[in-house]
Amino acid sequence: MNEIPIILFTPLLAGVLAWLINVKGVRELIGVIGAATPLAFLAKLYPTIVNNPNNPITYQMTVSGFKVTFTLGMLNWYFAAIASLVGLAMAFGMVSTSKNGYDWLFALMSYTGVLGVFLSWDFVSFFLLWELMTFASFMMVLKRNRHESLKYFVLSVIGAYAMLLAIALIYAKTGALDFDSIRQALYMDAMLGSISKGETALIFVLFLTAFGVKAGAWPLHVWAPGAYSETDQSYTTFFSGALSKAGAYGFLLLYILMGAKLYYALGTFHGHLTFAYIIAWIGAITVVVASFLAVLQEDIRKLFAYSSVGQVGYILLAFGLGTGLGFAGGLFHVLSHAVFKGLFWLVTAAIILQTGKTQFKDFGGLAEKMPFTFAMGLIAVLSLAGIPPMAGFASKWLIYEAAISAHMPLVAGAIFLGSALAFAYVVRFLYAVWFGQRPSDLEDVKEAPLPLLIAMAILAIPNIVFGIAPGLVTNYLNKALGGEVVGGNYYKLVTQTGTYNALTVALLLVVGLAIAGLIYLYGAKARRIPVTNTYQSGNPVTEEFNLSIRRNFYLPLKEALAFWLRYSFDKFYERIAQLSEDFADTLREGFYNGNVQAYSWYLAIVLVILALWGVL
Amino acid sequence: MISVYYFGAIALVLIGLYGVLVKKNLMKILISLSIMETGVNLLLISVGYVSGKSAPILSEGIKWNQAVDPIPQALVLTAIVIGVATTAMALSAAILIYEKYGTLNVEEIRRLRG
Repeated sequence: MNEIPIILFTPLLAGVLAWLINVKGVRELIGVIGAATPLAFLAKLYPTIVNNPNNPITYQMTVSGFKVTFTLGMLNWYFAAIASLVGLAMAFGMVSTSKNGYDWLFALMSYTGVLGVFLSWDFVSFFLLWELMTFASFMMVLKRNRHESLKYFVLSVIGAYAMLLAIALIYAKTGALDFDSIRQALYMDAMLGSISKGETALIFVLFLTAFGVKAGAWPLHVWAPGAYSETDQSYTTFFSGALSKAGAYGFLLLYILMGAKLYYALGTFHGHLTFAYIIAWIGAITVVVASFLAVLQEDIRKLFAYSSVGQVGYILLAFGLGTGLGFAGGLFHVLSHAVFKGLFWLVTAAIILQTGKTQFKDFGGLAEKMPFTFAMGLIAVLSLAGIPPMAGFASKWLIYEAAISAHMPLVAGAIFLGSALAFAYVVRFLYAVWFGQRPSDLEDVKEAPLPLLIAMAILAIPNIVFGIAPGLVTNYLNKALGGEVVGGNYYKLVTQTGTYNALTVALLLVVGLAIAGLIYLYGAKARRIPVTNTYQSGNPVTEEFNLSIRRNFYLPLKEALAFWLRYSFDKFYERIAQLSEDFADTLREGFYNGNVQAYSWYLAIVLVILALWGVL
Repeated sequence: MISVYYFGAIALVLIGLYGVLVKKNLMKILISLSIMETGVNLLLISVGYVSGKSAPILSEGIKWNQAVDPIPQALVLTAIVIGVATTAMALSAAILIYEKYGTLNVEEIRRLRG
């Protein structure tokens, strides 16, 4: 018995059942079991996968004349395991935040879609499940906000058509739809060159559009902030944590399928592969633009949405470096972004569930009220900002090393800038939400419900475990990439340019925290002071005075960037939409004018044209 | 050389078309439509004409191969009926329009309709 169909379709089945039964309690139970099953089976298959790296488990079936193949190799397993981990956390989170079967149906449907994208090994099932994933996530957004869902829909449709065109072109040229044959055919063609340069470039650009939309790469990222914030926040855990990785996986697929062909057709640029160079720069621009925009947001959900876009930019950038270390860093960041950003969205879900507020200006001093959620938020903040010993540090460190050793100083600079900005926005989240004076209407906020806390714990544990023992991941990645890319043992990472010992850092951190704790316990006693006990420019402040960083903290930055902020792709797309609408209106009013004689004229002119053409 | 029948029929169609395109009076447009229709019918009939043959009715002294093409005649018979029906309907519409707007000028009607 093959486990792949069970892994793939249990979530979908559970979603349908949860939607049909729709009884409180039963619905949640079915949903969680459905979400946990793929993870359980993937865990069970782990030894098989690791022991036979060159002999993946495959499953074939025939769907209306097409033979579709699903494969569970090293790389597929890695992505699928991340998706199912995040999927399980999402299911636990949704037990608390979602109260209807609709959400369960489409959340679990997109879960199946994402797993299908990661396990497919031919373009038929890849495209079908890609669309299933898009459709389900669109339905999730549609329920909350029509306008944002429309934006997501239009960009997804553009991506889908681009992908379909690219698949059609590949099929026309190679006659193959399964990845192994395509790979072989394109590898042979790299030498033969029967597919011209222009066609190869066209296929590349089409795939770039298709995967770029899903990954939220600049300039196709405009759907992401709205879609991520206007849906169930527990679902966003999956949306931003796993679904956006489908795009990143697509870029990887681009290397697997047509790397050699692209190299021979497009050549190199300053010693880098041209096509990889383009991907790297798209990633770098995404990182910088999205991070700047994230810093300026006043809405907690928008901030993390832009942050997600930026972090996926890191992954693209790392893949774009085209070196083994770049792939290792990018793949590691896929994992760490999934766990820390998933955690962030769950924390956001908890905050919004308990307070009903989303703006930074309404928050403050929640750390005392929701201590466990705060602890989880702190882990996420440390991991995102790249502070050791968290998973986020290890992956970012690998990406830095990769960018430096690939001799791309500007790209490396972009990620340094992105990291500094990431620190700026998470610090704001930390202080504005958890510390400082508490608004009076937040006095009776309670700790998040238990299922949501379990969900957070599911994602917080990998953050710490893979942070202290990054070797767990890099050893696996070494095997997946087929070489000793990152050296070291479980606690130590060794590359050509440096060494990072996570255990030492962790121990030092624990010692430091212990010292700080001792000082806190035995040092001078902490004294509580009211806000009015503070002076500002020699004047006592009033109760309403805002001493926190909650409102417009980065206003100076906003003013400094005002010139650049005028140029927004959001506005650009909206203007294009407006223009085409106006054009269609003019056309309609000009021609469809209700004058019978005008219509007679059109008819006569068409007849004359046809007659001149020789049709009549 | 274009047969005079074809020329005449097409000329009738073009005259009708001219009326439809240019005239502003609804009645004149309907008259033009009728003229166009006549032209079309004549054209159809002349397509089936075979020089020197008689009517396609099987009777004494006339064999099947001595008749003109019967198909366009059947076609035109249908077309005439359809033409009369559409003309009648258009005329009743014209009556209603005149009752409602008090004018038969198409531009005037369009302006009044808004």
